Amino acid sequence: MSETQAIRTPFVQAVLDSSGTADTSGIAWVDAARRDNLASFAATGLPEARNESWKYTSLRALSQRGFAPVDLKAARTVAVDVPVLPGVTGARMVFVDGVFRTDLSALEALPAGLTLQSLPDALAADPEPLRFALSARHRHQAADAFAHLNAALARDGVVVKVAAGAHVASPVHIVFISTQAGVAWHARAVVDVGQGAHVTLVEHHVGLSDVASLGTLFADYTLRDEAVLDLVLVQDASASATLIRRSHARVGARAVGTVHAVELGGALVRHELMAELVGEAGRFDSRGVFALKARQHVDTQMEVRHQARDTASDALWRGVADGRSRGVFRGAIVVAEGADGSDAALSNKNLLLSAQAEIDTKPELEIYADEVKAAHGATIGQLDERSLFYLRSRGIPLTQARSLLTLAFCRAALSSLPNEALREHLGDLLVAHLPTGPVDA
Amino acid sequence: MNESENMTREVAAPVRDNAEVEAALNRRYEAGFVTDIESTSLPPGLNEDTVRQLSAIKQEPEWMTEWRLAAYRHWLTMPEPDWAKLEIAPIDYQSVSYYSAPKAGLKSLDEVDPKLLETYEKLGVPLHERAKLAGVAVDAVFDSVSVGTTFRKELAEAGVIFCSMSEAIREHGELVRQYLGSVVPTADNYFAALNSAVFSDGSFVFIPKGVRCPMELSTYFRINAMNTGQFERTLIVVEDDAYVSYLEGCTAPMRDENQLHAAVVELVAMERAQIKYSTVQNWYPGDENGVGGIYNFVTKRGDCRGADSKISWTQVETGSAVTWKYPSCVLRGDRSVGEFYSVALTHHRQQADTGTKMIHIGKGTKSKIVSKGISAGRGQNSYRGLVKIEKGADGARNYTQCDSLLIGKKCGAHTFPYMEVKNPTAIVEHEATTSKISDDQLFYCLSRGIGEEDAVSMIVDGFCKQVFRELPMEFAVEAKKLLEVSLEGAVG
Repeated sequence: MSETQAIRTPFVQAVLDSSGTADTSGIAWVDAARRDNLASFAATGLPEARNESWKYTSLRALSQRGFAPVDLKAARTVAVDVPVLPGVTGARMVFVDGVFRTDLSALEALPAGLTLQSLPDALAADPEPLRFALSARHRHQAADAFAHLNAALARDGVVVKVAAGAHVASPVHIVFISTQAGVAWHARAVVDVGQGAHVTLVEHHVGLSDVASLGTLFADYTLRDEAVLDLVLVQDASASATLIRRSHARVGARAVGTVHAVELGGALVRHELMAELVGEAGRFDSRGVFALKARQHVDTQMEVRHQARDTASDALWRGVADGRSRGVFRGAIVVAEGADGSDAALSNKNLLLSAQAEIDTKPELEIYADEVKAAHGATIGQLDERSLFYLRSRGIPLTQARSLLTLAFCRAALSSLPNEALREHLGDLLVAHLPTGPVDA
Repeated sequence: MNESENMTREVAAPVRDNAEVEAALNRRYEAGFVTDIESTSLPPGLNEDTVRQLSAIKQEPEWMTEWRLAAYRHWLTMPEPDWAKLEIAPIDYQSVSYYSAPKAGLKSLDEVDPKLLETYEKLGVPLHERAKLAGVAVDAVFDSVSVGTTFRKELAEAGVIFCSMSEAIREHGELVRQYLGSVVPTADNYFAALNSAVFSDGSFVFIPKGVRCPMELSTYFRINAMNTGQFERTLIVVEDDAYVSYLEGCTAPMRDENQLHAAVVELVAMERAQIKYSTVQNWYPGDENGVGGIYNFVTKRGDCRGADSKISWTQVETGSAVTWKYPSCVLRGDRSVGEFYSVALTHHRQQADTGTKMIHIGKGTKSKIVSKGISAGRGQNSYRGLVKIEKGADGARNYTQCDSLLIGKKCGAHTFPYMEVKNPTAIVEHEATTSKISDDQLFYCLSRGIGEEDAVSMIVDGFCKQVFRELPMEFAVEAKKLLEVSLEGAVG
């Protein structure tokens, strides 16, 4: 058995131990896929630093920790305050330690065309539409440890369907709250935005302070032709949490996907954002910012694949690292053969504020077509001395001038967010998190 | 959709129908001839005995033999690197002959096989009087042994040592021993370890304190005998306040088998020393179907050991089937400067994975990277570079610019820059663009009565100008011509 090759680190051992307690779905192909994925995970274990994609994010410490399964009973009953985001007024789905909580969610009077279900409900109703997303064989590469882990153990999650032509006006709020320490939760999201449909989703991670847990969330977004998806990712996990996420979008013809990501919390955070532009004239824009302090480690891996003609992508990412933190960014643009007329741009700018902090960035271009415009730029540096001098010459104290400039630097990633109330709120969250302290200090 | 398809067709059509262009594209490799002279070769295969034999042939001292053996033993434990964006058929290291030398016993240039001289003549190597006219001292490496070195006297008067590595090991043993492997350790990487074990020859340059080398030093490499891997080892040491400009250029005769080439170049710059290292690489790239061609795995590294030193790499890479090469600078000395200027061209089925590494260690260190990649036919061209700012490198500064030009529908241009910054006073900037020769540019030239070929050549020349400007004059001319020949007709 391939399992025998496993490097039985405490992490892998704990996964194998906890897998015994996980229930089965009763659907043969679902259970088979889960078993396959568990075997694959056990065979490879966590990726090592030798693995190019994990070069800057060491999992050595994580591999020495074992996470217990979630106490389901507690997760279903614990009283928690659901965080509110201004401007996010639509339906709400709340997951506590990866478990769906009907009592905390708001699913009454959904707008026409919008279907929101938890994964078990969706599977019970009709598993077939989920077969593609949940079958292991389709998408996982050989050594994709967390994908295998998530596919093996995720029992809950969110299934969103927006009917063709439906315009969902109010943003849907999907909240993940961590309450239990020392546990691992795994959730799955499958989102299908129908032809010509419009929807805004806000994925929101929060944690009770000092909850050292592991969460994995693997999300698939399908944008049918002419669909419009606005995705806002607000990561405000507890300072000791480990969070591994993948958001994978398939963008159809003339469809538009837009992502705004704000990374604030977490001890070890990895976000893999992948988009495949499979339809002609599809578009995928991404904006993101991380603001790190203490010993935070945040790793964003973005990859946009242009696979059809006249597709476009624009990415703008900002990072600030202070304390002993480490910010990692990889932004890859791939233009496949035949994807003529593609227009791709990426900008990644970073501020390094401390002698103990580190920023590693790797913007990549892989171009296999010639009728293409592709460009990227990346910088790592400090606040502009002249701007600082200008502000100080106007009587603004140094610390405040620094805060102002840092905030302005980060806000570039939010300026295109159409939801004004949310934009202002995220700006405030950033201010509170910025290492330089609040502006009016 | 139809509209845009039609537009593309209109643009591309005149090119596809152009028979002349096809002919030019498929032009044979001009430097592809084999010189038939007697050579002493070791049989194919690699083991400790091969290494010992090689060392014995070269009459090396004991320490050198041991050094090679240690490298060989380490090489055995290393895996072949597979991270580069290159598709390479497995290399059989046992089928390569690790030594080939022209018949021994040459004392002066006059004794050199006239055929050999003829070879250089064809390649335009300025030996003999031509050398003097051109003002260039040549250490010509014909396969594995240096057969003639000119201008020795003039250089000796200036105190400069410029000789083959074999000679240097025999006659300047202590100097070589002090510096060899100090920049690229024997265990540095797979190909460097292989080179350390079996390097056949190369050049040694030593510029003493305060000396500005009176002329540009140049080595022409030429791979000749069948099945002979060429493993040069070059070591350049420039002492305080000294300066040297070194030119390396190469063409190889046509051959159907892949020839293995794994060179190591080490540069050491002491305080306020400057080294300018320029390369034009035009080895056989294989035919249009990717048959044959040189496999070129090179480790080039410069160590700016002293404060205020400067190392500048300039390369024009148009040859080889596979290029794996990352000339690097270790900026150890405070305020030291590293530069990398590169033009890499891949046509037909050539693959290049090339770039640089700038390791900033000292305070106030600066580096600049300008890389121009041109892909045509089915060529795959990758820039892979690392800029690393270590904790102590206060005020370090890097600027990187990578531009790619695509000519044709089947080629690829890729950029993989790594930036690792650990010092908050450093500034690192990277910019990259990918584009094709724009229709506007072409149209403008055509409307002025400039032919399509000339227009492309002009635009490419303009694209590369920033790099050519850094080349010494003789090389700039050759480089420009090389690009023209390599690219004729490849309009997209």
